[in-house]
Amino acid sequence: MENPIYVSLSRQMTLRRQLDVISNNIANMNTTGFKQQRMLFTEFLERPGMHEQISFVQDRAVVRDLSAGGMMQTGNPLDLALTGHGYFTVDTASGPRYTRAGNFRLNDQRQIVDGGGLPVLGDNGQPLAIPNGTKDIMVSGDGTVSTELGQVGRLNIVTFRNEQLMTEVGAGLYVSDEEPQAAPADTKVAQGMLENSNVKPVVEMTALIEIQRQYQSNQKLIENEHERIRSAIQKLGRTA
Amino acid sequence: MRSLAIGATGMIAQQLNVETISNNIANATTTGFKKQRAEFQDLLYQNFRRIGSTSSDAGTIVPTGVQVGAGVRVAAVARVLEQGNLTVTDNKLDVAVNGSGYFQVQLPSGDTAYTRAGNFKLSPEGIIVTADGYPVQPAITIPAEAVDVAINASGEVMVKLDGQVAQQNVGQLQLATFANAAGLEAVGDNLFLQTGASGEAVGGNPGAPGFGRVVQGALETSNVNIVQEITTLISAQRAYEMNSKVIKTTDEMMQQASQLR
Repeated sequence: MENPIYVSLSRQMTLRRQLDVISNNIANMNTTGFKQQRMLFTEFLERPGMHEQISFVQDRAVVRDLSAGGMMQTGNPLDLALTGHGYFTVDTASGPRYTRAGNFRLNDQRQIVDGGGLPVLGDNGQPLAIPNGTKDIMVSGDGTVSTELGQVGRLNIVTFRNEQLMTEVGAGLYVSDEEPQAAPADTKVAQGMLENSNVKPVVEMTALIEIQRQYQSNQKLIENEHERIRSAIQKLGRTA
Repeated sequence: MRSLAIGATGMIAQQLNVETISNNIANATTTGFKKQRAEFQDLLYQNFRRIGSTSSDAGTIVPTGVQVGAGVRVAAVARVLEQGNLTVTDNKLDVAVNGSGYFQVQLPSGDTAYTRAGNFKLSPEGIIVTADGYPVQPAITIPAEAVDVAINASGEVMVKLDGQVAQQNVGQLQLATFANAAGLEAVGDNLFLQTGASGEAVGGNPGAPGFGRVVQGALETSNVNIVQEITTLISAQRAYEMNSKVIKTTDEMMQQASQLR
């Protein structure tokens, strides 16, 4: 008898989680290399007793919008942006992690490190170190890093068969159970640029309004249903 | 609710962004100032449905999980070390560094600080000092009878004494470079201190490999690009507004829930 309330409730719970996803997109609208996320909903069918089917809502998945973010010119030689589907590789204590955030810098050993200080790996699996006494760092489109004294190494730029299977671990890093593959030929490194997040503020704002209104109408439905049950009980009680 | 906290992280991050930008704008005409940029990172993610879990008895694998992020944080306020423009001042003791390297300055505490601001003066004893009166290292004394001072591109300081034709070398300006100059700690007054992140200072003469040249009679202006700062300021303000809108929406939804009879 309370099924309408439960169906509404299932929607309200998913709406709250969707609001969390939207809030995270908005909070990260200035985060380098951030990819906006969308929630997918599915119908969850149930046949209670012998009655007809009732369909609930379930949040099935969060998918990332993998489109490229806008490019921002910074002029910093170690700010690198990737065009196309590719990821830089950084080294952590628990294995390689992958990132689109190319706001790199040097550490005190002149190794190229990411924003969190993790060494960026070259295609030989070793961190790239810029020799002392050099000042010009050049990164070519294919990821080759060189100074005025010659080539230093090549950035390890990889991609995955299914990028949606990559898991966010925070700090702009991803991890995947899949084997990394060499990035496609159209993946290029742009030096002196950063990839902005691909969050579209207007889209997020309209989604925010929509969530709020849907939450409201579900609330209304719960209230109406509550009212219906109450008056039914009152009327039934009176005739008895 | 989680979105309240997420909106708050966004507002805090944008506030620091605005603070960084306002410091850049305030220092737009500060000699040797290097602009800073706030960098953001996403926070941890919570798994509500882990990627790769099965969705049916037949063993179907969920292609994507339900992962909800916890907002944003400031990862770093990085200093952008691009060269600032050189402005000609024609002041004999204004020295700009064209390229990499910092002047070394002795603080009253005895420690060495580093600066790009070459607006030097003379102390009562004739020693070359910074605008705050701290001696430049290695110390160079200009004799009182000098009528002209010339500093060449490799930092040699030559003076012409009254009544003499030949120039006399009175010292050599030195520069210091760092493995990671962005890791220097700014202490105000245009000064920087060495840190564990910057690496040890490496001294050298201007013009040597890896060191910039010095230019007499010029100053390095800040590398702040006002137009760029203003556009970043606008986008930071809008981002702040949107995060506050998230908080407002969440608040209204919570209000509705609490009004349920």
